[in-house]
Amino acid sequence: MFAPGGATRDHYQLLDQDIRALGTQALADRQTTLERSFLLQGITFTVYGAASTTERIIPTDLFPRIIPAAEWKHIEAGLTQRITAINLFLADIYGEQRILADGIVPRDLILGSPSYRRQMRHLYVPHEARVNVCGSDLIRGPDGAFYVLEDNLRVPSGVSYMLANRDAARRTFPSTFREARVRPVERYPDLLLATLRSMADDTRPNPQVVVLTPGVYNSAYYEHAYLARLMGVPLVEGRDLTIHDNRVYMRTTQGLRRVEVIYRRVDDDFTDPLAFRRDSSLGVAGLFNAYRAGQVMICNAPGTGVADDKAVYAFVPAIIRYYLDEEAILPNVETYLCREPAQLAYVLANLDKLVVKAVGASGGYGMLVGPHATAAKRLEFAEVLKADPANYIAQPTIQLSTAPCLANGRIESRHVDLRPFILCGDKIVVTPGALTRVALERGSLVVNSSQGGGSKDTWVLADPRAEVDGA
Amino acid sequence: MMLARVADSLYWLGRYAERAEHVARLAGVMLNAMLDQTDAADEAARIALAAVGGRSAADFGEVLEAASTLSIDRDDPASVVSCLASARENARQVREQITTESWEQLNLLYLRTTGADAENAFSADAPEFLRRIIADLHQFKGAADATMSHGEGWRFMLAGVYVERAQLIARLLSAGFGGETGSDDHVALVNLLRMACALEPYLRAYTADINARSILEFLMFDEEFPRSIRFATERVQEHVARFSDGRERGRNDPLRLAGSLNARLAYADIDAVESGGADELLAGVEAGCEAINTAIFETFVSYPLEERLPT
Repeated sequence: MFAPGGATRDHYQLLDQDIRALGTQALADRQTTLERSFLLQGITFTVYGAASTTERIIPTDLFPRIIPAAEWKHIEAGLTQRITAINLFLADIYGEQRILADGIVPRDLILGSPSYRRQMRHLYVPHEARVNVCGSDLIRGPDGAFYVLEDNLRVPSGVSYMLANRDAARRTFPSTFREARVRPVERYPDLLLATLRSMADDTRPNPQVVVLTPGVYNSAYYEHAYLARLMGVPLVEGRDLTIHDNRVYMRTTQGLRRVEVIYRRVDDDFTDPLAFRRDSSLGVAGLFNAYRAGQVMICNAPGTGVADDKAVYAFVPAIIRYYLDEEAILPNVETYLCREPAQLAYVLANLDKLVVKAVGASGGYGMLVGPHATAAKRLEFAEVLKADPANYIAQPTIQLSTAPCLANGRIESRHVDLRPFILCGDKIVVTPGALTRVALERGSLVVNSSQGGGSKDTWVLADPRAEVDGA
Repeated sequence: MMLARVADSLYWLGRYAERAEHVARLAGVMLNAMLDQTDAADEAARIALAAVGGRSAADFGEVLEAASTLSIDRDDPASVVSCLASARENARQVREQITTESWEQLNLLYLRTTGADAENAFSADAPEFLRRIIADLHQFKGAADATMSHGEGWRFMLAGVYVERAQLIARLLSAGFGGETGSDDHVALVNLLRMACALEPYLRAYTADINARSILEFLMFDEEFPRSIRFATERVQEHVARFSDGRERGRNDPLRLAGSLNARLAYADIDAVESGGADELLAGVEAGCEAINTAIFETFVSYPLEERLPT
């Protein structure tokens, strides 16, 4: 928000005036009203405790983060390039495997990955779009440029918070919102529906789309219900679906009805116990066969997770070069692959400066944050690393950029990242907005909602020379 | 056409919301009766506890304790807060089917009555606590009526409301007048009318002449009072007919069962009931509602798949 020296950056000027005019008490009151409204709407996640189960809202900060048009244009181009290359990569590794034959990406890294689904080999997918919904995590580095930290290609969540935050921020700063020419995000549900429909067999008009949820006890259930409601399609659970003659049906009050596109919000493993995990009780037996037979679309396609594996991530710039003959517009964070002996040696020598992550894990498991670990802990981890180097990558400790937030009635800066949402079916749409995740503790770098992170609205400004796209 | 599981949840949402309102009213009348003489309070407690099902005053030390259990005990599945939690849980299962206006109303009520302050609020002013619950449930039903499409889902919810209501009123009348337990005490009769939210409408229909025969007639057969059994069974028939699409499917068809129960009430009258006793008809209403409940589940929710493949 502020330039070095303390002056307010141009694109924050309007908001700055608004905040000064309101005063901290009025802001705190609005914050309370907002939190109450989230609780009332049920925008909550469930915390399971020993004594009782409670619902908490994901903390939301009133202050929108502002991204000027030119900067967004760059991000948009970078994300479009990246999703295009990733979908070409997935088509290739589940098809001819040229990139493996050419030695650009190591064969064992892909075929040995637990997220690689042999069952997907040689399967036709419309528009070669296996990743239909993507929520990449970007960070802004100390040099001011945006980097991609992670591609979430499986079942990314958070888009409902983006929409709820927008609703709240617009009500908090109505006049600034109008004057600033903020690009709308409200069309996300109908763009999502159009993307899903574009994946269906085009010989059948008005394909029946459903959202598949693990159920009310899933922490993202609110979002599943929200998207189903705003798209106007049924929210189904595995037990509502049944397969007959390789076709998928849902059990309705009037008998069985055909389902043609499933926007699944469950992991690969839990879609079909016959094809993937046998001990899963959540899935629909026979679903994968129906998919193979082309009688139903599953979005995202099974097996996309192989491309957001932390080791494969390191190859994405090479993947972009290979398929598109372009350099990556949004760079990766520098990543050391411990499977390479030279890089492993560097990692071992610099453990106190690096973050080491297990390639298959997420949510902070199997991870070493070098600068914050004790010497003994680092020594211990070095042994683990040497025993199974292929399972680890390392990255420099990244200082996330900060944004102003309302904390304890004052305006303070907190570390943030950025999660935009990209849709890909017959065409690619980057939603002009994002979820900005906030580390609520002063100095903390952890933005995950499961570990006390919050979120805030993100205003992407319209190009001053262009019309604001229709809301 | 809607998901079978969703229809089932909407139906149970209706049942639990109705039950919560009824139990809140019973508890409220019990508390109010404590302001009168002891035997009136005891009689009100006896009826209310019997009407909730299988309880007697002997289970509790005093009326206040009984009212408190019925209102805010989360471990008692029949309590008001347990019913509200079940209603809200069913609503959450089908969150995408009900409008934000109705959901927020119910969610607000749930959060207020199950939060940390609920017990204090009850201790501080129990009658007001219960009055607000009833008022909020009316708002929920009003919001649903005013904002939801009056299609299949709404009808499943209302079928739940009216099946529950017919059963609850039948149980209340059995507790009040069944067997040899009836009382002609004026205060007791007024309290019974209050438990059915019927005092004012009754007075308009029968004047201040309050007697057991007229109360039975009013609460069983009145065609216009929304808490009479007759009114409820007619609505059940109407809603089941609409979501059955008019088709009957065999002997255990919900529409057939609803029609036959409604006909029993339409063609019975108070003279016949008085000579033979109300017990038989009231037991028939309870059994009829149970049969409709089962038939709805078997016809629309748990039907065998092989019979219902699309053609």
